[in-house]
Amino acid sequence: MKHKYGFVTFLLIVVAFAGYCFTVLYVGSREKEEEGYFVVTSFYPMYIAAENIAGQAENVTLANLSEPQTGCMHDYQLTPEDMKLLSQADLFIINGGGIENFLSKVAKSYPNLKILDASEDVELLEENSHVWMSIKRHKKQVENITRGLCELDEGNRGYYEEQKEAYLMELSKLEEEQEEIRRKVQGESIISFHEAYHYLAEDYGLTVAFTLDLDEERQVSAGEVAEVISALKDNDSPVIFAEELYGSEMAEMVKKEADAAVCYLDTILRGDYNPHSYLQGMEENIRVIKEAYGVE
Amino acid sequence: MGLESLTAFFQYEFMRNAFLAVLIITPLFGLLGTMIVQKKMAFFSDALGHSALTGIALGVVFGVRDTNITMIVFAIVFALLLNYIGNRVAAFDTIISVFSSCSVALGLAILSAGGNFSKYSSLLVGDILSITRGEILYLLGIFAFTLIFWCFCFNYLHAASIHRTLAKGRHIPVKMIENLFAVVMALIVMLSIKWVGILIINALLILPAAASRNISENMREYHFFSLIFSLFSGILGLFISYYANVATGPTIVIIASVLYFSTYAYAYKRNV
Repeated sequence: MKHKYGFVTFLLIVVAFAGYCFTVLYVGSREKEEEGYFVVTSFYPMYIAAENIAGQAENVTLANLSEPQTGCMHDYQLTPEDMKLLSQADLFIINGGGIENFLSKVAKSYPNLKILDASEDVELLEENSHVWMSIKRHKKQVENITRGLCELDEGNRGYYEEQKEAYLMELSKLEEEQEEIRRKVQGESIISFHEAYHYLAEDYGLTVAFTLDLDEERQVSAGEVAEVISALKDNDSPVIFAEELYGSEMAEMVKKEADAAVCYLDTILRGDYNPHSYLQGMEENIRVIKEAYGVE
Repeated sequence: MGLESLTAFFQYEFMRNAFLAVLIITPLFGLLGTMIVQKKMAFFSDALGHSALTGIALGVVFGVRDTNITMIVFAIVFALLLNYIGNRVAAFDTIISVFSSCSVALGLAILSAGGNFSKYSSLLVGDILSITRGEILYLLGIFAFTLIFWCFCFNYLHAASIHRTLAKGRHIPVKMIENLFAVVMALIVMLSIKWVGILIINALLILPAAASRNISENMREYHFFSLIFSLFSGILGLFISYYANVATGPTIVIIASVLYFSTYAYAYKRNV
């Protein structure tokens, strides 16, 4: 009888201790917060933009809310870890336009947190906030982010402005390339498998004939497949813009069915935290589009 | 990680809420679990958890702002109906399965309309941040209700679980007691499902009681260990999930399973 109570006490202590050790091992491997300003971004493209401006600055630590593989924020759920990050943040950079649908929760929990909407004064397409996909608009976002960083860390203004100019130069180069293609493909129509491509299409002067939003965890019904195929036929086989990760199955099937060209384009939502990933991703998109339309 | 990070835990409103919720709800899980295991109703409570999906779907269809309400109402109706039909047929497990799959299918069909199911996927694994002050008040209410129910009805319920006909012969209102028990179960499951998650809520009801059953010799011990195990895995699970940044429900269930297997091994060796 006594033995049993002893056993239970022993068991509980052992389990608690094992849990403690496991957690310490797990958490201990993560880096500690440093001195200076702590800037949190909401998701990948915002992190990359901020990284290009302030990544090398000594007194700014950057962190991203979601994991680099999370993708779009539509249905993102804040984790306790996120709340911790936000509670320490001096500035929270968001894409805006409603894509961060948890924002009201954040604002309620941390009324003093400075939130920077990168899409401020940027013209949005209707019910679509994948603004970063348009280079023209993304430049504006970069400027907004720089302004926010300068306000936060006035002493480093010169440095941030310098970084911004350099980054905008790179972006402008891409924009010029896009302009060139635009002259040749303007007015053609596309079928888009992700809302993000609407911004891209606008940069190229393409019309979106049909949209099927194949996002994370999206289930497609049989009727929608038929709609895509009939849209393809109605529009004289336009090019399909699809995301490799979620759209490829559908795209391959439609390709077989209706013999359409497919462009696999990067939505720049995932990757490692390489500061050049936006530039590289867009470069690749330009190459793919060039190829699809046979532009030299 | 010392005392300092332990207090950091309570800095956050959502963690305080979660901690309170765990303190209130896990003893209830332990308490109800004893009877669920005893009456071999594990499958019943599982089906009840699944019905939450339909409850929420109905709320969405009718445009109710607080889907908690439709969820609870639907679960109560579901539990009573299941009890009612179950009393009339021999193959109770088949009926439960039919009900359970039916309600899951209905819920999925409605919630996935327009391809939006991912909005509700947090229901499956639970979201600790969904616990609000208001919900804790609900939980306190149900806590009091369950305690009263347990004090007055436990003996009847116990009698019915041992021998139904004999209990009826002693003028115990078996049906009513059983229905009440189902309602209490429905209430508790529904009020905790949002942060525990549909996929694992049943484990939380069953595991502490099952672990306790491995080593208990009488009702008092059975209750005592079940309560201790439930509370322990709840609190430890919450702490670990907070520091390790994983979902809370699964962490709690993992700890409870460890307890179950340890007690099983212990009982096996000592032939308790």
